[in-house]
Amino acid sequence: MNLALIRDNLEVFLLGTSQSGAAGGLMLTLWMAALAAVVASVLGLAGGILLTVGSTWLVRVLEAVTVTLRAIPVVMVMFWCYFLLPVLFGIDIPGVATVIAALSLISGAYLAQAVRAGISAIDRGQWEAGRSLGMTRAMLLRFIILPQALRVMLPSFVNQWITLVKDTSLAYVVGVAELTFVATQVNNREQVYPMEIFLFIGLVYFTLCSLIAALGQLAARRWPAMSV
Amino acid sequence: MQPPVWLGHGWLPTKQLAVLFDGVLLTAMLSLAVCCMATVIGVMLALAVHYGARPLRWSVFSLIQLLRNTPLMVQLLIWYFAVPGLFGEEARIWLNTPHALSLTGSLALSWPSYEVLAALLALSLYGASFIAEEVRAGLSAIPRGQHEAARAMGLAPFPAFRCVILPQVLALIRRPLIGQYTAVIKNTSLTMAIGVAELSYRSRQVESETLLTFQAFAVATLLYLVVILAGQWLGRQREPVWRGAR
Repeated sequence: MNLALIRDNLEVFLLGTSQSGAAGGLMLTLWMAALAAVVASVLGLAGGILLTVGSTWLVRVLEAVTVTLRAIPVVMVMFWCYFLLPVLFGIDIPGVATVIAALSLISGAYLAQAVRAGISAIDRGQWEAGRSLGMTRAMLLRFIILPQALRVMLPSFVNQWITLVKDTSLAYVVGVAELTFVATQVNNREQVYPMEIFLFIGLVYFTLCSLIAALGQLAARRWPAMSV
Repeated sequence: MQPPVWLGHGWLPTKQLAVLFDGVLLTAMLSLAVCCMATVIGVMLALAVHYGARPLRWSVFSLIQLLRNTPLMVQLLIWYFAVPGLFGEEARIWLNTPHALSLTGSLALSWPSYEVLAALLALSLYGASFIAEEVRAGLSAIPRGQHEAARAMGLAPFPAFRCVILPQVLALIRRPLIGQYTAVIKNTSLTMAIGVAELSYRSRQVESETLLTFQAFAVATLLYLVVILAGQWLGRQREPVWRGAR
């Protein structure tokens, strides 16, 4: 094992090699994962709520979109975003934005299904009770259904965030300088120590994912499930 | 009929469609091989965790967590770049030269290139770690009494597992298992990063040769949808389709 190699390149792994000052390496991985997690969670919540209360045709369209997004590989969705986003907006879109868009869309599709399932796990009596108190549907969702449903969905969200962190490594395919890409650059330069380099970044990802899982478990313990 | 201007100057020529078709063929074959290997390895890992002695159980469990919580891309790169370094020079040259396993007469099975071999190993182990967790969940849902009853009926441990426990586990985890197989098909797309010429790789190739980005990606996406939805349809059949043919 050649650990000096890791130490010498630590700054490259953490911050990337870019001279322009743009973040790279682990910084970029974290940044992309965090942004995609927020966007995906919002999309997933909105999609799941619409899948529950939307009109028939809206539900059909959303269902078709989520099923399609879940049935094609992340790499293909990245290619599509890479091609379609500039066409749609008429401007040059940086690779990082492409990757974030693709990851948000896919994770959003998975989360929408989880949110729908979570809402449908809440007893019908809760809806009826709220309605008989004179609450509107929006109030009902906001104050009665979602607080209970979100607790049910917590594990799905945590799993999806973990998947998201792992999937940022696919940005390597479209040449975004995140951790995996930077590691292959270091590997190309050094040539002799691929095992050290890739095991090291594997360990970094493992630590990140374990951390998210642990936080999820902590949250689940601090926020006990109501019996529904 | 010409496509609109923003889609480029024409449709895909037949030659390029054939390239994409080659890609989907490799995707399908790779997925099939990986599904088989991942299931076998996954069941063995689950058995080790469920029935094994404590040290074995803990080490296999940690292995599963390690495989599940690192990106597949990193695992592919380890198998592709780092693992050959563990072998000697000769083995590395042997791995990178084409070989043919000659069977009887004219039938010859070509030895897969190292990219494909690395892809097979990485995808199978990654898939196995997820399948192992499903099988383990299935195993722990079967009451202990089932095993004891089978043993009391005079079945030896292995037949008891094979004929009494396993069928119940499989029935329980059928749906999540189909999800895992779908994930395997999608995961094969990552192997383009190490140069395996599967569908994603081919779509990129066709795109850069013809500059018909939309057409290339649309055909590739459709082919993925066909493979994945066909696979899911097969999995949803109550009885295996081929059994009904008899």
